[in-house]
Amino acid sequence: MVDAVENGGDAILHFDGVVKRFGGAAALSGASLTVRRGTVHGLVGQNGAGKSTLIKLLAGLHRADEGTIEIDGKAYERLTPHLAEALGIHFIHQDRLLVPTFTVGETLFLGREPRIAGTPFLDRAAMRRKAAEMLDRYFGLQLPASALIADLSAAEKQIVQITRALIANPKVLVFDEPTAALVRREADLLFRLIRRLSEEGITILYISHYLGEIVDLCDTVTVLRNGRDVATLPITETSAAKIGALMVNRAIGELYPKPQVTPGETLLQVENLALTDRYDEVSFTLRRGEVLGFTGLVGSGAKEVVRTLFGLDRPTGGTVSVKGEAVFATDPAKATAKRLALVPEDRRRDGVALDLAVTENTTLASLGRFSRGLIDRGAERRQTEDLVKRLQIKTDGIDALVRTLSGGNQQKVAIAKWLSRQSEIYLLDEPTVGVDIAAKVEIYRLIGELAERGAGILVLSSDIEELLGITDRVLVFFRGRVTREFISSETSPDQVLTDVTGAHETLRHAG
Amino acid sequence: MATASLSAFTRGIGRYALVAALAAVFATFAALAPGFLSGANLVSVLVNNFALLAIVAVAMTFAVSAGGIDLSVGTAIDFASFAFVSLVLAGQPIPLAALGGLAGGALVGLFNAVLIAGIGISPFLATLGTLFVGRSVQQLLTNGGNPVYLPPAGVPEAFRFLGHGSVAGLPVPLLVAALVIAGAWLVLSRTRFGRVVLATGIQASVVRYSGIRLSRVTAATYVLVSAIAAIVGLILTSTVTVYIPSSGNAFLLNAIGATFIGTTFDPHGRPNVPGTVLGVLLLGIVANGLLLSGLNFYWQQVGTGLLIFSVLAIGFANRKAAARA
Ligand SMILES: Nc1ncnc2c1ncn2[C@@H]1O[C@H](COP(=O)(O)OP(=O)(O)OP(=O)(O)O)[C@@H](O)[C@H]1O
Ligand SMILES: [Mg+2]
Repeated sequence: MVDAVENGGDAILHFDGVVKRFGGAAALSGASLTVRRGTVHGLVGQNGAGKSTLIKLLAGLHRADEGTIEIDGKAYERLTPHLAEALGIHFIHQDRLLVPTFTVGETLFLGREPRIAGTPFLDRAAMRRKAAEMLDRYFGLQLPASALIADLSAAEKQIVQITRALIANPKVLVFDEPTAALVRREADLLFRLIRRLSEEGITILYISHYLGEIVDLCDTVTVLRNGRDVATLPITETSAAKIGALMVNRAIGELYPKPQVTPGETLLQVENLALTDRYDEVSFTLRRGEVLGFTGLVGSGAKEVVRTLFGLDRPTGGTVSVKGEAVFATDPAKATAKRLALVPEDRRRDGVALDLAVTENTTLASLGRFSRGLIDRGAERRQTEDLVKRLQIKTDGIDALVRTLSGGNQQKVAIAKWLSRQSEIYLLDEPTVGVDIAAKVEIYRLIGELAERGAGILVLSSDIEELLGITDRVLVFFRGRVTREFISSETSPDQVLTDVTGAHETLRHAG
Repeated sequence: MATASLSAFTRGIGRYALVAALAAVFATFAALAPGFLSGANLVSVLVNNFALLAIVAVAMTFAVSAGGIDLSVGTAIDFASFAFVSLVLAGQPIPLAALGGLAGGALVGLFNAVLIAGIGISPFLATLGTLFVGRSVQQLLTNGGNPVYLPPAGVPEAFRFLGHGSVAGLPVPLLVAALVIAGAWLVLSRTRFGRVVLATGIQASVVRYSGIRLSRVTAATYVLVSAIAAIVGLILTSTVTVYIPSSGNAFLLNAIGATFIGTTFDPHGRPNVPGTVLGVLLLGIVANGLLLSGLNFYWQQVGTGLLIFSVLAIGFANRKAAARA
C-alpha cells in the first residue's frame, strides 16, 4: 500500500482499519485514512467503493463494526451526529434530503434557531436577515429566506446545505459530491469558496467523481477500491488519469466510445416551441440513431424544454411532433405513450423510489408488459436480472431496496426503468452526475448502443467535454433561446463555453 | 447466499412479533377467560368480531398503501345501508337493492376522489370533511337521525341471507369476508394496479415521472375503498334489519389500528392484506377475551390500546435492528 502521507501529530482525522458491513456485504473492509489539519483532502473511488459509508461513520450515522476513528488524536467509539457537530465536523451529504415543506430560513437554522433575547420565541426577522446575508456573501445568491425548499432547483438546494454548514463555523467540512448538482459557474464559485475556507484554516474532505476537480483543488488524494484504501498520494505526484486507473484497477479505455450511426427517420420534430418567460422559438429535430446535446446555464431554458417535451410543463406556443404525428403531451403519461422516456435530474426524488426494490423500480414504467391480469413475477424478475447484468448494477440482489444502492447505481436503475419500457426517445437530464468514471463510460456506451438500435437520444448536460464526446450535435441555450448549434466532432469545449456563458453576446454588443 | 438467509431471518422476526402476539393473547384467554375456547365462542369471534371489521380494514389497507387514509369508511357503510334499506322499502328486488346499496357507498368514494385527486386536498382532511358532511346528510335524510326500520313482516327472506344465511355450513358474512380478503390480497400484491398504489404511497413523484396518471390511481383507490366498505353496510343492515344513521363509524379506529398493526408483518413495513387480517384477528380476540373475562368496556379499550402500542413497538424495533445490522 502506498502511503506518502506521514501519520504525524497534525492529523485531525484518522481512520484505521475500518470495517462496516450491511447485511452480509461489506461496504468497508479495512479502510484507513489520515487527513491532516488545514489540508484539502480528496477521496475518490468507484460507485459503491464505500466513500459515503466512510464519512457516514464519521458523521455518526452508522457505527463501524471494526477499526477506530480518531478526531484530533482522540478515539471515539460512539460517534453521534450531535457529537460530530459538537466537534466541529460538518457535512454536505450526497443524499441528504431536505424537508421540502420547510423554508430556506428554517432549513438553514434547523436545530440552532436564533431566539428573541430572553424569550423562547424564534427570532424570525434575524433568521431572514442572516440567511439572506450568508447566501449573498458566499454565493452571491438572492434567495428569499421564505422560499420553500420544494421550489428550489437542485443547485439551490445544494447551496442551502453548504450555507447551513458554514453558519455553524466548522473546523472540518466534508463534501460528498458537492458539484454533482451544480453547473460549471456554480461549481467555480464553490471551488473559490473552498480555497477561501482552506486559507481560513478549515480542513476539507472532498469526495468527487470529477477527477479534474480533485487535481485542481486537493493537496492529497486517497483512492478507495472495494471498501479499502489502495493509495494516498500528494496531488503533485499524480494525475487524473493515474487516479482513474487506480480506482478501477485497470487502464480506462476510450472515454467516449461513440459509434458512427447514420441517422434514420425523424423521431422528434420541435418547431417554435415557446413557454412564456422560460424559452422562445425553440426548433430542432431528432432522428433515429442521433444523439443530440443540450447545454446552458440554469434558467437558460434547456431544462425547461426537456420538461415540456415530457409533458411536465405546458408550452404556450409552437408544435411538437413524434414520427410525423402532432403531439400535445399534457402529462407524462401521454409522453410515455409516445415512447418518450425521461431520466430526471433529481433522481432520488423523481427517478427512483428509494423504498421500492430494484425489481419494482425497474418495471414500474412497463408493468403492462408483465401483467395479464396478474403480474408475471417470473418475467418481471428475469427482465430485471437481465438489465442489472447489462448495466452492471451493483446491488445486493434485485429485491434490495434502491435506498441501499450507491448513488451511481441508483442512476443506472433510473435508466433501466426506460430500457424495460423499450422507449424510443430518451431525454437524459444530467445522466452521469454522481456516476464514477467506469460507470460513466458504461452509460456512454449504452447511449451509443441505444442510438445503434434506432433510438433518438437527447442529452442535457453541463459537462461540455462529455457532451461533445458523446453527441452528434449540441444546441446551446442562452436566456431562453437556442443561440448556437455545434457539430460535436468539429468543436472544442472552449468554443461552446463562450456561448453558454453568453460571452459572445457581450462581444457582439461591444463590437 | 449468506445475505439472502440473513434477510429471510430478519423478515422472520418481523412476522414472528405479530404471530407471537396473536398466539400469546390466544393462550392467555384460553387459560383465563371462561368459555373462550368453546366452539360457539370461537365462531362468534369470527362472525361478530372478525368478519365485518376485516372487510373494513382491508379497505383501509388500500388507502394507507396509497399513502393516505380514509376516515370516511363509516360514511360509505352508512350510505350503502341507507340506500339498501330505502330500495327494499320501495319494493325493489333484493339483488337490485343490494347493487344500489353498493353504489350508494361508492358514491362516498367518488366524492373523496374528487376532493383528493381532483382538487388536491390531503386524504386526511378530505375524508374528515366527508365524515362530517356524511353525518349531516344522514341527519337531514332521517329527520334528525331516526333509525329506519324494515317492518319484520315485510322483509323478504332473501334480505336476511347476507347477515344470517350460511352456505355449506359457513356463515355468509364470514364467506364474504374471505372472498374480499382473497380478492384484495391478489389485487394489492399481484396486479399492476396494486403495485402502482403501493408505489404511489412510497414515492408519488416517481410514479408520475414513470408516465402513470397519479390522479386516476388515487381516484380509483378511494372509490375502491368505499365500495369495499359498502359491503359491510349491506351485511350489517341484513343482520339487524334496521338502518341507524352514522353507525358505521364504529369500525373506523379499529380498522386503522389493524392496518398499522399489519404493517409490522411486512419486512419493509408496508401495509399488506395478510398483516391487516392478522391485526383484525388480534383485535377481535382481545375484545372477545376481555369481554368474557368480565372486564368492563373501558378497560377493554385500554387493553386494545396497549396491544396496539406493544405490537407496533416490537415491529419497529425489529425493523430498526434489521436496518442497522
Ligand atoms: N444502508 C445501507 N444498506 C445496505 N447496503 C448499503 C447501505 N449503504 C451503503 N450500502 C452498500 O455499501 C456499498 C458502499 O456504498 P457507498 O454509498 O459508501 O458508496 P460510494 O462510494 O459513496 O458510491 P457513490 O459514488 O455511488 O456514491 C454499496 O455497495 C452500497 O450498496
Ligand atoms: Mg456516495
